[in-house]
Amino acid sequence: MKRILTTVLLLFVGLSIYAQQVINGTVTDDEGIPLIGATVLGVGTTSGTVTDLDGTFSLSLREGTEAITVSYTGFQTQEVPLTNATSYDIVLSSASEVLDEVVVIGYGSTSKRFLTDNVAKLSSDDIDKVPVPNFQSTFAGKAAGVRVSQTNGKVDAGINIRVRGAASISAGSDPLYVLDGVPLINQNESQNGAPLNPLLSLSPTEIESIDILKDASSAAIYGARGANGVVLITTKRGKVGKAVMRLNLSGGVSEPTNTVEWLNTEEYVELFTEAGNNSGIDVTADFDRLSNGTDWRNSEVDTDWNDVVFRTGQQNNADFNISGGDEKTVYYLGGAYNDTEGIIIGNDLNRASARTNLRHNFSDKFTGGLNLGYSKTTINRVANDNSFTTPLQAIAQSPLSPPRLENGEPFAGTEYANFLLALDYGSYETRIRRLTGKAYGEYRFTSWLSFNSDFGYDMSNTTEDQFNGSRTPFQSTNGDAYSSNALQESYVWANYATFDRELSPGHDLNVVVGTEFTEAQRNFNSVSGIQFPSDDLQTISSAAEITAGSGSFTAYNFMSYFARAQYVLNSRYFIKGSIRSDGSSRFGADRRFGTFPAGSVGWIVSEESFLKGNRTLSFLKARVSYGLLGNSEIGNFPSRNLFGTTSYNQRPGIEPIQPGNSTLTWETTKQLDLGLEFSLFDSRLSGEIDYYRKLTDGLLFSTPLPGSSGATSINQNVGELENTGVELILNGDIVNSGGVRWNASFNIARNNVEIISLPNDNMDIVVAGNNINRAGEPVLAHYLPEYAGVDPANGDALYYINGDGEDARETTNDPNAANRIVAGQPFPDVTAGLTNTVAYGGITLTFTFQGEWGTSLYNAGGRFQSANARFFDNQTVDQLDRWQNPGDITDVPQARLFTSNGTAASTRYLEKADFIRLRNITLSYDLPRDWMERIGLTNTQLYLSGLNLLTFTDYSGYDPESRYDAVDLGRGQVFYSAPAARTVSFGLNLTF
Amino acid sequence: MNQLSKLLFLGLFSLALTNCEDRLEIDPAQSLDADTALGTEANINTVLVGTYAEAGRNDAYGGLYQMMVDLLGANGNVTWGGTFFDPGDIFNKAILVTNGFVAGFWNTEYAVVNQANLILDNLDVVDSSPGERDRVEGEARFLRALAYFDLNRMFSSGDLGVPLRTEGLVDYSADLTIDRASTSAVYSLVVSDLEQAIELLPETNGVFADRYSAQALLARVQLHLGNNEAALAAADNVIENSGRTLTPTYADAFNNDANSTEDLFAIQVTSQDGENDLIVHYASEANGGRRGDVRINDAYLDVFGSDTTDDARANFFVEGEVAGRRLTGKYTNQFGNISLIRLAEMYLIRAEANLRLDSEVGASPREDLNTIRGRAGAELLEEDDDIDLTFILNERLRELAFEGFFLHDYRRFGVEIDGFDPDDDALVFPIPQSETDTNMGILQNPGYN
Repeated sequence: MKRILTTVLLLFVGLSIYAQQVINGTVTDDEGIPLIGATVLGVGTTSGTVTDLDGTFSLSLREGTEAITVSYTGFQTQEVPLTNATSYDIVLSSASEVLDEVVVIGYGSTSKRFLTDNVAKLSSDDIDKVPVPNFQSTFAGKAAGVRVSQTNGKVDAGINIRVRGAASISAGSDPLYVLDGVPLINQNESQNGAPLNPLLSLSPTEIESIDILKDASSAAIYGARGANGVVLITTKRGKVGKAVMRLNLSGGVSEPTNTVEWLNTEEYVELFTEAGNNSGIDVTADFDRLSNGTDWRNSEVDTDWNDVVFRTGQQNNADFNISGGDEKTVYYLGGAYNDTEGIIIGNDLNRASARTNLRHNFSDKFTGGLNLGYSKTTINRVANDNSFTTPLQAIAQSPLSPPRLENGEPFAGTEYANFLLALDYGSYETRIRRLTGKAYGEYRFTSWLSFNSDFGYDMSNTTEDQFNGSRTPFQSTNGDAYSSNALQESYVWANYATFDRELSPGHDLNVVVGTEFTEAQRNFNSVSGIQFPSDDLQTISSAAEITAGSGSFTAYNFMSYFARAQYVLNSRYFIKGSIRSDGSSRFGADRRFGTFPAGSVGWIVSEESFLKGNRTLSFLKARVSYGLLGNSEIGNFPSRNLFGTTSYNQRPGIEPIQPGNSTLTWETTKQLDLGLEFSLFDSRLSGEIDYYRKLTDGLLFSTPLPGSSGATSINQNVGELENTGVELILNGDIVNSGGVRWNASFNIARNNVEIISLPNDNMDIVVAGNNINRAGEPVLAHYLPEYAGVDPANGDALYYINGDGEDARETTNDPNAANRIVAGQPFPDVTAGLTNTVAYGGITLTFTFQGEWGTSLYNAGGRFQSANARFFDNQTVDQLDRWQNPGDITDVPQARLFTSNGTAASTRYLEKADFIRLRNITLSYDLPRDWMERIGLTNTQLYLSGLNLLTFTDYSGYDPESRYDAVDLGRGQVFYSAPAARTVSFGLNLTF
Repeated sequence: MNQLSKLLFLGLFSLALTNCEDRLEIDPAQSLDADTALGTEANINTVLVGTYAEAGRNDAYGGLYQMMVDLLGANGNVTWGGTFFDPGDIFNKAILVTNGFVAGFWNTEYAVVNQANLILDNLDVVDSSPGERDRVEGEARFLRALAYFDLNRMFSSGDLGVPLRTEGLVDYSADLTIDRASTSAVYSLVVSDLEQAIELLPETNGVFADRYSAQALLARVQLHLGNNEAALAAADNVIENSGRTLTPTYADAFNNDANSTEDLFAIQVTSQDGENDLIVHYASEANGGRRGDVRINDAYLDVFGSDTTDDARANFFVEGEVAGRRLTGKYTNQFGNISLIRLAEMYLIRAEANLRLDSEVGASPREDLNTIRGRAGAELLEEDDDIDLTFILNERLRELAFEGFFLHDYRRFGVEIDGFDPDDDALVFPIPQSETDTNMGILQNPGYN
């Protein structure tokens, strides 16, 4: 074996040497200023160099190289054909036009100009400096039709990304993440009921660019996993040239974007005394109990529980990297540390990560490399939103209650368990270790034929350790502890050949053919114990009694074949086709393979003679794509009729857990995209308009069954769903004179989602009572009785009957008699973003506004919080407007303690959540370069960055972006959900 | 050399193409396909164990069923003081069709029914001995009868009973809509299942249902149906032949890790499995509860009259963390079993049936009541004490309180509940909205439209 390896290595090293030619030249901007560090590469080779301090370069190239490309950050990359000359003076123009940037498309890359697909590209400039620990939040508002939202203000909260609406209802709706060609594990491993962002483990500082494949033509190369779009992440690489070291340090503070106002003691006493009187209950003893015997009549204690829950958070970042290389080897080595203390007490995170990317030309023909990233993330978590001990539920506590006693101990007599007891005497710590690696080789048989073999490995290990000491709420077993260990790993082996050749002048053909095999496994173990000898002994080993344990294993495989071909005629007519065939263990044996074809055409109209040279319309491209995508995020064994294990009196049992459906398969999405790209007025204004239509059929549904059948749901491929939309992107070079540059980028997208058909003659599917899937309506529309206000005569809450009869608009005080109506949709139909960059001298100001319109949120906590004193929960201040006397006109019913009056689920608790938010703003200053060079630095930048500094909304809850993290997020509910953080951070960026 | 490296790559390529497709066949590691699960005797036995686990879910006999009966029939004895809407609405007799506790009970009971049906459908594979097959069949019939009896008691309105399924469902692509059966048809199945179970089951069967569990349940069912002779015969048989004996003290009958001598059937709870939601809602925080969602009012003590010092049952309370909250002493062991049928109830059934029939089968009503009262330390009844049905009802309230009897007992004795006529529609559960949303055409109960 060893000898074979040696032989193989020798093979690669011993490849023949070609004749060389040497060229040189200078690179300047359009004002003649030399560009230092511009990259010059031989096309079709890996030979390259960077310009020196005078902007000059010298490059040795293989004989027969036809062109070089010259690139520099902030400028358009230029391809310069080589003639017989040996010296070239190259002028780069600024990159307000992004037509020629490189776009990663999966198993290859292309230039934006040649693209017939809809791909949104983000660079590290969009990602750097935004003070959030997860990379996904950095691109909120920056890509048209890509909606990014964090579940709520917990630092570890799950992230939801929807590309052009959701193509699914119950199957996964997250896009496929691919890191340097390796599909990433993105399975939530939280055991506390609230989703955890599995990609928190990836530091935003490692990322060079993100390409989001939005249409079928681009995503179809990922076949059965492409229906929700594909996010391709490219990590930073070294560039040829001397070693560059960068150090970035930043620190900031954060607070909640918003809080809600609750009754103070005086108001609480007034409202609840009245509520008690109306129900014939004397509440003074309860006030004495809640106030711990303090003088509530004179507001001796007046607690604003917001102040107990929230704190000023902190964020510190440090990252250091060194990169560089020579003609043979390029390298990037980086490390980063993030320490985030959340705005919710008890919630924090720290992450240490490192990355090594190496690439080496073993010969002219053989290139190999290794990308390796590893990280450890430690998170202190708080309970999910539906838990009495999650901090935000403390806002339900009476203002009469002191949070702590004089001796500092949490007050145990609060109406609900005091979360401070859980905070002081319990813990929940999650650790994620992540390793993502790729070893790859590329062999070029000829200048136009190469073969790539990529072997990727991804490991995500999540451990969770919970301890509840003897003094935590609901504790009766001298403490309990839980410990879990989830190990997920996958490997991907992709092999593909690329043919890229100009067949004859004006005829270019690019073909990729390959296979990919993916195997993913998950091992999970957990153990629970009770009866601890001491609160200081907190690991399971100290538990006197082990009460539960689990060990499980699951797996899935994919075997895929793919091909893609693009033909370009005269650099202006494009035709592209791709096909992928995916087989998966997840699909029923009869339907194991699915085939996903796509095609697209493009035409650069501006290259035609009638437009060529037109300075008003300098670029115009039309493109059309159509294709088929799949969604295989349907669980590992969804089609089987299964019995799972249970036990009774510690004897083993089995019980039905899943009704079977042998015909179950992936969801299929057909997507049409019509796009127009243009560039106007000397490229001062450029943009794209796209129209798309996505039709998903065979929707996977966990269809509710009548409980009388013994099961409550079954997985079915039923119904059709359509997303149609329009996206507009405008990039403007607004001012570019007198040393001032002002660029703006605006995007707006409208997505209309509609269920086209459902099984059994479009029978409604009601989800958990208050959401509905109904033909002709959006997915998971709110489905609620319609609140009709208050009967002025008696203070009863009223609901519209909304029946079929003539009495439809009559009202009733019996919620059972009120028919539910479709009352709103749980996601936006319009999303927009506006990014402005203004630069003068060394000062740059960048800010991004983001807006969403159309969402309605149902506050599932409303029936406790704004319930006209139904329970002893503190109430929102608007409840003071309650009905008191006959004739009162108000929307708040009479307060009746312990009696439901208007607290049934209804539109009373449904609210529009439109907003515009100043997502982030960064002010940076580059210190003059000549100062810096004297002390050995090439660049020094100071910056001030803000996140969520301003929010414009009429929404009355905590935050229009927060969601209830313990139910399906798609349902558009909030329930004691924490607001997002507002952060201001100061940073220093040094380059040596 | 070059040729060799090309070959190497082509080799890798073809390896990738061919070697992986057969790996697409993966079986789940934690679950069995239905064919396997129902295909062997050993597996049918584990399905049977699973059916007990299902019945023991918190939604049903793990506690919420008993609590809902106590709350809907509270009649001043208890107050719901917790912060959950659903039980609060049950307590207030203002149940919404969306009530999650009601739906949970419905779904869980029907899951029990389906699993029992699957066992009965697949008895053929239980072929090791006729006795084994009889035992398995008897237990399945017992569990199905238990589920249907309580479903019908909670949901039937007039002659409108609950949907009756007697065959297990495996194929869920079939039409699953089903109409409601008549109330009497459901009860007939319950009686017939129990009569068969009594014949099929062994005299003892560990913690699982045995002959006397079935006979005791039959006594309860017959009493509920007003078939006093049948109730009397069944209760008498259990008392005489089951070998069960009252525990020495009243307290001994509760909070047991293993069944007590008087348990005829109990839901098993251990620290590792089973659920005890009676603890969650009736117990203090120190005992694993939520500080007493269900509180016992002073009015309950009235049922003891002046006899409150010696009667252990009048003092079987716990003071919760919140001063003044009186909680029951019946639920203090977080991992204790939940007694569903105790021998004490059989004495009460025999006494009541004898009184109603004016007979003294087994013992006189006075003797049976004294058996119960003597164990609790209550004053014994004298020969000339007048024993009427009200006294029987009160004795049941004293003995069986907080065990899921209030609603049924008040209604059976025709007593108004919290101002509601015993036949009021508000004392019957609504068919859950989750059922009416999916089982199109099923009739809702009056009062919930």
